Amino acid sequence: MDFEIKKIDEWRFLIPKAGAMRVPGLIFSSSELMPNIKDDQSLQQVVNVATLPGIVKHALAMPDIHWGYGFPIGGVAAFTMENGIISPGGVGYDINCGVRLLTTSLLANEIRPKIKELISALFKAIPTGVGSRGRIRLSRGEEKKVAVQGASWAVKKGLGTKEDLERTEDHGAMQGADPSVVSDRAFKRGHDQLGTLGSGNHFLEIQAVDEIYDQKIADAFYLFEGQLAVLIHSGSRGFGHQICDDFLKEMGTHVKGLGFNLPDRQLACAYIKSNMGKRYLSGMACAANYAWANRQIIMHWTRETFEKVLGINPSDLNMEPLYDVCHNIAKLETHVVDGKKLALCVHRKGATRSLPPGHPDVPERYRKVGQPVLIPGDMGTCSYVLAGSQKAMEETFGSTCHGAGRVLSRKQAIKAAKGRAISRELEDKGIIVQSRGKTTLKEEISEAYKDVSLVVEAVHMAGLAKKVARLRPLGVIKG
Amino acid sequence: MNSAPLTYQIIDHTADLGIIVEGPDVRHLFMNAARAMIDLMVEGDISERIAIRDVLVKGEDFPDLMVRWLGEILYLFEGENLIVNSIEIKSISPIQLKSTLTLTSFDPKRHQVLREIKAVTYHQISVNKVNDGWEATVIFDI
Repeated sequence: MDFEIKKIDEWRFLIPKAGAMRVPGLIFSSSELMPNIKDDQSLQQVVNVATLPGIVKHALAMPDIHWGYGFPIGGVAAFTMENGIISPGGVGYDINCGVRLLTTSLLANEIRPKIKELISALFKAIPTGVGSRGRIRLSRGEEKKVAVQGASWAVKKGLGTKEDLERTEDHGAMQGADPSVVSDRAFKRGHDQLGTLGSGNHFLEIQAVDEIYDQKIADAFYLFEGQLAVLIHSGSRGFGHQICDDFLKEMGTHVKGLGFNLPDRQLACAYIKSNMGKRYLSGMACAANYAWANRQIIMHWTRETFEKVLGINPSDLNMEPLYDVCHNIAKLETHVVDGKKLALCVHRKGATRSLPPGHPDVPERYRKVGQPVLIPGDMGTCSYVLAGSQKAMEETFGSTCHGAGRVLSRKQAIKAAKGRAISRELEDKGIIVQSRGKTTLKEEISEAYKDVSLVVEAVHMAGLAKKVARLRPLGVIKG
Repeated sequence: MNSAPLTYQIIDHTADLGIIVEGPDVRHLFMNAARAMIDLMVEGDISERIAIRDVLVKGEDFPDLMVRWLGEILYLFEGENLIVNSIEIKSISPIQLKSTLTLTSFDPKRHQVLREIKAVTYHQISVNKVNDGWEATVIFDI
């Protein structure tokens, strides 16, 4: 590494501006997490992002930072609308990959004997993994509507309620989506993948709330100890992957005429104000909307499955989304920088928005306590609910971490899991797992991830979000 | 043409998966890279041939051509449910590759998906002439 790292305090580390960097790098972490971060190439990626035109304040990294491609995962960077860039690599292939947490009126202990049956029924109801096609086949016309309307398309089709939309970031539809910039290939990849979970780190988990840290906020979020909940983690599937891919290729050529050098080809970008930049933003919004429709539909089928397996009616189940957040996105937002209001394009790649109490974009029901922040852990440990904070607005453009972050490569994980019956090990811990892919469970073992509790502690202590509740997994379906 | 044993190395990348692949010449390098990617995605009997397709890929240089070439193979699988079972590269230059692919249909009864590759990335992409042949490094988004 040919850059310096200075410890500012227990939770913040600075990479001073040097060489081609236009701003310093700022890493939110801890002395326990830092050694792992230094082991991979993610800090070099922070330095690379800091060289891009129009970046303001800092190239930021959250405590779950790990080596991505182009931008690090767990990276946040804001660029001025006036002379800044937008980069598909700063959003990622899985545009609007995100999580949705569903709360219920059920007590986890009462449902525990039924978990196996529920997991098996969910595994049948929600297509997972590659090669599996969805239950929905979209005509091109309908697929374009999904791209514009997002989650509300699903609600119009009877797959959910209007109230669900109020508890989804951006009401489940990003403005400015224009299907005319989306390629034929993206539509083909997406036409039968709506309502599918996907593979890799995507999952659906039945969970139990096992600890409350802030009673007042937990009450506002309708979370209580012992409660049964469901967490859905999925994204825009092949539709989004193809849109990212298409624009990266176009911008790879485009950027060569812009007069600055890229330290990594994956950082291909365009000025936000340019036609190319605007086209990407419109295409990205289509993928973001597809992802919101996807999680809405998966949620609807989850509700149906619970009602059927448990033989209860919707009002007794009371399965409602607490919130739905995206963690791979670029958004046009206004932030105060050095005392001045600036129109910015905030890239969050593996980072979650964290809006404070009182912010107009927080749903009214949560406005007094702040935006719900949902942090999934790995399948063997736990997940967290936090609330957004003012400090995040001041330091990270209203952003916080998005998960545990990998620490082992897939190859290392498979090696560590060799000869072990992972699903049996989890069952011994009281977690029922069903998965499709042959290598998924091995690649996704707990040891492959950082301790999510350390990541959450770091953002809590740094003031980027406030700990509200912890949830433990009872059952998992994976691709 | 595809009967030579396929060898490739998996490289450690925390979030994703990379390969280092070799070939005695650039034509075989591109063939081997495609075969390695298919090997990572799916297993089972892919010998049945149901279609033949000519694929033309254009790029700016060998690394760009490699990303676009593997992107074509990935699209055939993801977008059209087709697995490439044999590859003939008719001509190749740094800016263009002409090939004829024979394809089989993905069938969940006969084929097991090993992992989902979301995309072929440009991150740390390299295609280089080495002492006794050619070598490429490619990182996939998983």
